Amino acid sequence: MDTKVIFSKKFNYITYGLMGLGAIGLGYGFLTDTHRTWANLLMNNYYFLSLALGASFFFSLQYITQSGWSAMFRRIPEALMAYIPYAAIIMLIMFFGLHDIYHWSHPDLVAKDELLAHKAPYLNIPFFMIRIVVFFAAWILLTRYLRKLSLQEDQLGGTAIFEKMEFWSKVFIFVLALSFSMASFDWIMSIDAHWFSTIFAFKNFAAAFYHGTSLVGLIAIVLYKKGYFKDMNEYHLLDFSRYMFGLSIIWGYLYFSQFALIWFGNIPEETIYYAKRWDNGWYIFFIANFAINWFIPFIGLLPQKLDKNINFVYFICILLLVGLYTDIYEQVMPDFIKSPSFGIIEIGVFAGLAGLFLFAFSKALGKAPLIAKNHPYLDESLHHHLH
Amino acid sequence: MNTTHIIGVFDSKSDLLAGIESAKSKNITIDEIYTPYPVMEAIDAMGRKSRFTTAAFIYGFAAVVGVLSFLYYTSVIDWPINYGGKPTNAFPSFIIITLVLTILSITILSLFTFSVRAKIYPGKKYILPDERSTDDKFIILFDKKTAGAGFEAISAALKANGASEVYEKEV
Repeated sequence: MDTKVIFSKKFNYITYGLMGLGAIGLGYGFLTDTHRTWANLLMNNYYFLSLALGASFFFSLQYITQSGWSAMFRRIPEALMAYIPYAAIIMLIMFFGLHDIYHWSHPDLVAKDELLAHKAPYLNIPFFMIRIVVFFAAWILLTRYLRKLSLQEDQLGGTAIFEKMEFWSKVFIFVLALSFSMASFDWIMSIDAHWFSTIFAFKNFAAAFYHGTSLVGLIAIVLYKKGYFKDMNEYHLLDFSRYMFGLSIIWGYLYFSQFALIWFGNIPEETIYYAKRWDNGWYIFFIANFAINWFIPFIGLLPQKLDKNINFVYFICILLLVGLYTDIYEQVMPDFIKSPSFGIIEIGVFAGLAGLFLFAFSKALGKAPLIAKNHPYLDESLHHHLH
Repeated sequence: MNTTHIIGVFDSKSDLLAGIESAKSKNITIDEIYTPYPVMEAIDAMGRKSRFTTAAFIYGFAAVVGVLSFLYYTSVIDWPINYGGKPTNAFPSFIIITLVLTILSITILSLFTFSVRAKIYPGKKYILPDERSTDDKFIILFDKKTAGAGFEAISAALKANGASEVYEKEV
């Protein structure tokens, strides 16, 4: 019961190697194209932060719904939350790149632009930085507290801590919904501050939840293949698949809603967003997003036989991690490069942050026993059976 | 039309499942099971597998193809109208009505499929062998002619697994 996941030396070296690659990519980027490098840093940090926060949302949802089946996977999202402080540091470093990314951060441009001047009370550098600090403070404090309670439960047992965690999960879910929405407005939507979409935050929040859940499923499958989670069976897989299936519909719905209304309304201020994302070879991302994030999971996970097939779910989980990248790439990059291209900067920055993410995750996962032995619903999870 | 049935009454789901198992192991044919709420294990034990999801998928697929081709026919081939410079084949705006009509088609066709398969039609007389199955009891029904065992044997098999009552009734 008390087994901890042991990461091999090789794994640690790989994470260091990836971080080294990241440093090289960043160095190369700042020497050649600073705009693009800052944009990549923002995009990749947002990518991994989405995964971490999506996993934490999944985690607190299990408490609020008092789900039994997922009790033994609880440590995975807990460990994924460990990336949030690192994301905070990178987001604070972004302060030096604000002028490269955000139009509204140039006072001379804002003075000439009536619309940006109107938005200035909200979109200005001091308030922007304050919001970053407030959001991250809330996320770090709450996820740390949940983690602390979870480790306490291992020692003490009983149901008192479970009830406490349920209450704080409710608080966290409320705070996260509000703050993550505003954060996605701030960091991603304000790149093009003239354009706006009211469904934007919901769409990105759903994407974070969707892909965060698929990452939790992916890690559970990888650990199962390595010999951990001996009690995992096809019904756990079925539950993960159902999460992904349901969320694929929600993601597709929201992504299409934003597009359909803008396409139908045909107002120049709004359509410019999609015009930019259709020309110069960007159209393929628009189609790929639908295919990867909605069509393939939706059709593939329809038959229950495939839902329970570990290799197929494994494939879908990996595909969805690619899907989140294409989703965010399409949202961020068209404002910085004319046509889609994938060079040393993209690979380097992604590798570096992936290394950091894996480093934070593996340290947090290795610290505590993989299965929370005093979880009140653990027995139900170990003997999970469905129809 | 009425035939004599042997009715076993159980107090709990686990007793019911044990009763089904013992009846099956003695080659006694179960006619029907009535429960207060859906018991998936009982459906499995009866050897019935629902093909409803497949039917629903076919209806949905047919509805998507049908609606889209209908919209294509009306707005592109038969009567093209220029709405604010949009292409006549305004695919994104077709999707919403397709979604709604697909849901409607699946719902209504599923309802009819279910009615046909379960032989339910308006004005059909309701059969309820034991009223307590709408309350908190689990009922197993055996047809006396086709069960393959007599009342004594069935009664013994069910009582050994916790049946609270076994009796004969014309249904």
